[in-house]
Amino acid sequence: MSRFPFGSAALALLVVALLSGLWLAEDPVGGRKATLTLWVFSKEHYENYQNVLPAFLAKHPGVTVDVQLVSNNGLAARLQAAMVAGVDVPDMCEIEITNAGTFFRGPLKEVGFLDLTDRIHRSGLWDQLVRARFAPYTKQGRIFGLPHDVHPVALAYNREAFERLGIQPDRIRTWDDFIAVGRRVTRTTGANPRYLIELSDTSEGQLELLLFQRGGGFFDANGHCTLDNEKAVETLAWYVPLVAGSRRIGNDLGGGQVLTQAVEQGYLLSLITPDWRSRTYENDIAHMSGKMALMPLPAVRQGGRRTSTWGGTMMGITKRCAHPDLAWELAMQLYYSREKLADRYQKSNILPPKRDLWNDPAIQAPKAYWSGQRLGRIYSTLAPHVLPQYASPFLELAKNKLSEALVACVQQYNASGDAGFKAFCRRRLKQSAEEVRRQMARNPY
Amino acid sequence: MTTFKIGRRRADGSTPLPGGAARRTFRFQQRLAPYLFVSPFLILFAVFGLYPLVKSILLSLYVTNGPRDHVFVGLSNYRFLFSDPDFGVAVRNTAVYTFWTVFLQLPLALGLAILLSQKWLKGRNWFRLAFFSPQLVGQVFVGVIFMVLYVPQYGLVNHAIHAVHAGFPLDTKWLGDARLVMPALVLASLWMYVGFNMIYFLAALQAVDRQLYEAAMVDGANGWQQFLAVTLPGIKPVAVYVLVMATIGSLQLFELPYTMLQQSAGPDKSGLTIVMYLYQNGYITGDLGYASAVGWTLALGILIVSLIQMRVTGVWKGASA
Repeated sequence: MSRFPFGSAALALLVVALLSGLWLAEDPVGGRKATLTLWVFSKEHYENYQNVLPAFLAKHPGVTVDVQLVSNNGLAARLQAAMVAGVDVPDMCEIEITNAGTFFRGPLKEVGFLDLTDRIHRSGLWDQLVRARFAPYTKQGRIFGLPHDVHPVALAYNREAFERLGIQPDRIRTWDDFIAVGRRVTRTTGANPRYLIELSDTSEGQLELLLFQRGGGFFDANGHCTLDNEKAVETLAWYVPLVAGSRRIGNDLGGGQVLTQAVEQGYLLSLITPDWRSRTYENDIAHMSGKMALMPLPAVRQGGRRTSTWGGTMMGITKRCAHPDLAWELAMQLYYSREKLADRYQKSNILPPKRDLWNDPAIQAPKAYWSGQRLGRIYSTLAPHVLPQYASPFLELAKNKLSEALVACVQQYNASGDAGFKAFCRRRLKQSAEEVRRQMARNPY
Repeated sequence: MTTFKIGRRRADGSTPLPGGAARRTFRFQQRLAPYLFVSPFLILFAVFGLYPLVKSILLSLYVTNGPRDHVFVGLSNYRFLFSDPDFGVAVRNTAVYTFWTVFLQLPLALGLAILLSQKWLKGRNWFRLAFFSPQLVGQVFVGVIFMVLYVPQYGLVNHAIHAVHAGFPLDTKWLGDARLVMPALVLASLWMYVGFNMIYFLAALQAVDRQLYEAAMVDGANGWQQFLAVTLPGIKPVAVYVLVMATIGSLQLFELPYTMLQQSAGPDKSGLTIVMYLYQNGYITGDLGYASAVGWTLALGILIVSLIQMRVTGVWKGASA
């Protein structure tokens, strides 16, 4: 000890540092112990999978599965960083639909997920699932994710308020019918303002899905930006007067408790509602149980499509997974099996994309919250009509640009009304689309 | 075998001079010791500071798909940056935010500090704690609180204004109206940082020589003249420090708008800051090379602004004199 020049304290520190370093090298922190590790970002999914896992584990003695709940933004950023850096990643991962495209940014061979195309065709899933739902997880014809859902959209409405105001949902077939009702019942001023529908005048949320309803979107199947095509121009020029000017029928206050109050107090009479959101109301707006009901979206034209889609999740198997067959089997069990299907559905209201599951009694059962309506039946009737959306690493950018165009058009409409408005929408969308294309042109992949 | 004998005393009390190998060891240790002592910092700085800095400079010359997959583009990222309208908006928003926060924050913080340094004020310590406390919770927490306060139709802010001015619409969207986003952000940041900067000014005020005030009073100076001639010069070094740090902090704004605007840039990009622009490009679009170019441009901008501030306030000249 006396030979160490800097004293016994420094020596002790050095010894501790060396020992802890050796220990960490031997047993790294975060080292995976389970056979399969799965990252999910949704608490509902996490809880559902915990229920399904015992059956899977019983079939595979000795196998362990570690399901980890990670925040959506954190999951996307961490997984992306881990994949490109080539460090440890989970075996399987759920990715939210908006984030999916960012994983397909590089060359095809650099995508961090296994190419599932052949497995999907071999297993028959290609024919068994709503085919449009593969599109968001596809790059250059290769499929890298299994769709968790279809998320068809309907219109949830305050049934009591509709009855009080003499609104007959059965007689509303088209958006023109709906807007006519809206102009009659909406009150934008006074002590108790009231709007027929929740629509945002600042963010692209509802505008986006109404664009999907018309067959539009941000990108086409080849990844080209379509933000300024004629469908988008028509949709924007039609949408803005619904949220701007004196004859508006829509408004948006935000989510969470504000939305709860807005619905309970009759500020908002109807809301565009995909299946997952219907469950949110059951939890967050519980006082409205038995007073809410669901109807298909009004069509653009008589006999047209009465739905759209909002949100989505994929399950991918990472290239670093040591047991891809086992991971595939687990994905099948979690997403497409009848195992605990009733439980899964009741906890989420999410319609699985596999069509033969839709006849399950749990999915077809009436729901007290929705005035006894058969929620699953309504959504499963709409689901086959959902159109594909296409992935792009620039999807988030395109959404932001659509929002900017919306805000500019709302300001223009408030200032100048209908005069030259459609031409303004066209110019503004072109500007937004060009900004997206400029960014895309920088991507050499 | 050489043993460590330096300082060992003889029986007569004298200390022998080290000789031969012992002297060489002693000299070697003397030369080596400083390097060994600073080596932990140097190693950590080299690995976690210097290497990322150098790497990010190189990265800014590439379009990337993560660190492994990149294409050299020279200064193209910088050229694109200066021609990108979004970056222009981010710079403008950041500058507006910085201007308003700094020029409202500092006078308010100084005013509070002067008020809370008055001996006649009862419960001064409690007030100091209360004004400082927002700093304890961080920007994300403050962002969430203000998000709730600003809620349209049911939020406290709208109801308070409506109570005073009945014509004010309850469904005013502070975070949903492009014209109101920046005032909403500035207000939230004032709530958070005024108390924090007040602490610096309180400390500075206590260090001002009381005899100078007495001399000023003897000379017939009133309160305002004392403030200008005694207080301000006395707290100048701290005031400049607070000014520079508040400016740097404002130029790096991210968490507050990111939380309040729910991970978006707000309506019409009204809440888009430079760091948010960097984050979007680096972590949403996945182009770390371009994000590095944004980062270095911001760092250079902060350096220039800080140097100008130090030059204008005379601190730089004072330091070199």
